[in-house]
Amino acid sequence: MSEPFEPNIVAFVCTYCTYAGADLAGTSRLKYAPNVRIVRLPCTGRISPMFILKALQKGADGVLVSGCHPGDCHFTHGNYHARRRWTVFRALLEFTGIPLERVKFSWISAAEGAKFADFMNSVTEDIRKLGPFDQYKELIRETEAPATL
Amino acid sequence: MTTQEQYKKRVKELLSNGTVKMVIGYKAGTTADRRRPLFVRTPEEADKLVLDSACIANLSGYLVTEGLLSDEKRVGIFLRPDGIRSINILAAEAQLNADQIVILGFDIVGQEVTALSGEKATDFSELIGSIKEKAPEAPQNPQLEQLEKMTPKERFAFWQAEFSRCIKCYACRQACPMCYCRRCIVDSNQPQWVNTSSHTLGNFEWNIVRAFHLSGRCVGCGNCDRACPVNIPLRLINAKMAQEVLGAFDHFSGMSETQEPVLASFKKDDSETFIL
Repeated sequence: MSEPFEPNIVAFVCTYCTYAGADLAGTSRLKYAPNVRIVRLPCTGRISPMFILKALQKGADGVLVSGCHPGDCHFTHGNYHARRRWTVFRALLEFTGIPLERVKFSWISAAEGAKFADFMNSVTEDIRKLGPFDQYKELIRETEAPATL
Repeated sequence: MTTQEQYKKRVKELLSNGTVKMVIGYKAGTTADRRRPLFVRTPEEADKLVLDSACIANLSGYLVTEGLLSDEKRVGIFLRPDGIRSINILAAEAQLNADQIVILGFDIVGQEVTALSGEKATDFSELIGSIKEKAPEAPQNPQLEQLEKMTPKERFAFWQAEFSRCIKCYACRQACPMCYCRRCIVDSNQPQWVNTSSHTLGNFEWNIVRAFHLSGRCVGCGNCDRACPVNIPLRLINAKMAQEVLGAFDHFSGMSETQEPVLASFKKDDSETFIL
């Protein structure tokens, strides 16, 4: 029997809230799915939509983006800018047919270690059910295939 | 006197009394239904000007040509309402000084060309306001409606088929008055965000990036659509994003030269139903 599908998930998080939340989950000895690879950034305002596309391009089955709750931003309003950008980007993804279940957004503060662990678990579970992002992987294979005449 | 004759006279006047150093307009193209841009520097050259229902290109992109406005002299330009909106955006994004632009406004209704009264971008704010009012009720593009009804999988297949034809010539970028970056993100190779080969994946990413950068900035002039050599319906995706931005943030691009760019501003109570 073949191995069960283990999704690859990339999480882009801000260092002041969600990354600290992940730290708290660790120090609280909370277990969460090992499928998530965390990329730490200074602020959600630093998270360009290109990062999300790049993660998918490199074969991620799902992408998470998380930062401080509105009003809590270390830089006062980076997350407000990020929120507008995500609203627009999400609409664009939807219109071009990328399933929105694969790109998730959340606010997780430094005190929400449990929320962090739960979120990682639930998203991993959802994406495991969805299966690999075959449509996109087909395109990746086409790009990486050796040229034929 | 026809609109064309009226404007020819006006251009000669503007050039001979030194109000403007140049007028950007249209002249006859290679075929009867095509027009090409004309850069008029002397009153005599103004005789070549053509203004009719085939003058549909948005010329405002020529204004951000390097060095054109740096001598602080004024430039006249033929613009339809969407072109006037792009002047407002360029001014709001500090790409030009709107005081240097003398607008020769016109509109095309059916086959008729009508003159729009006004000279500065601010003179047209009422007109643009009325276009915004009408925007939500404007007849929806039937293809857009059809796409919205599809499942994500079908939509993905639709766009994949469209984008697989893309040859990455970047004509859409060159034709767009809003694409003025000195160094476009796809020309950067450290890091290389988008594959340069014209495989479907890279094409897909390029078109997503283009549409994202135009969200809340596109005025729907259709320059990209007409420039595309493989007829990808780029206007569809831009129109969809314009709708989204209008719905989510009540933002209609190019309202005034002081309008804040939608993705460079925010409200504390912006909707966030999708954020967990």
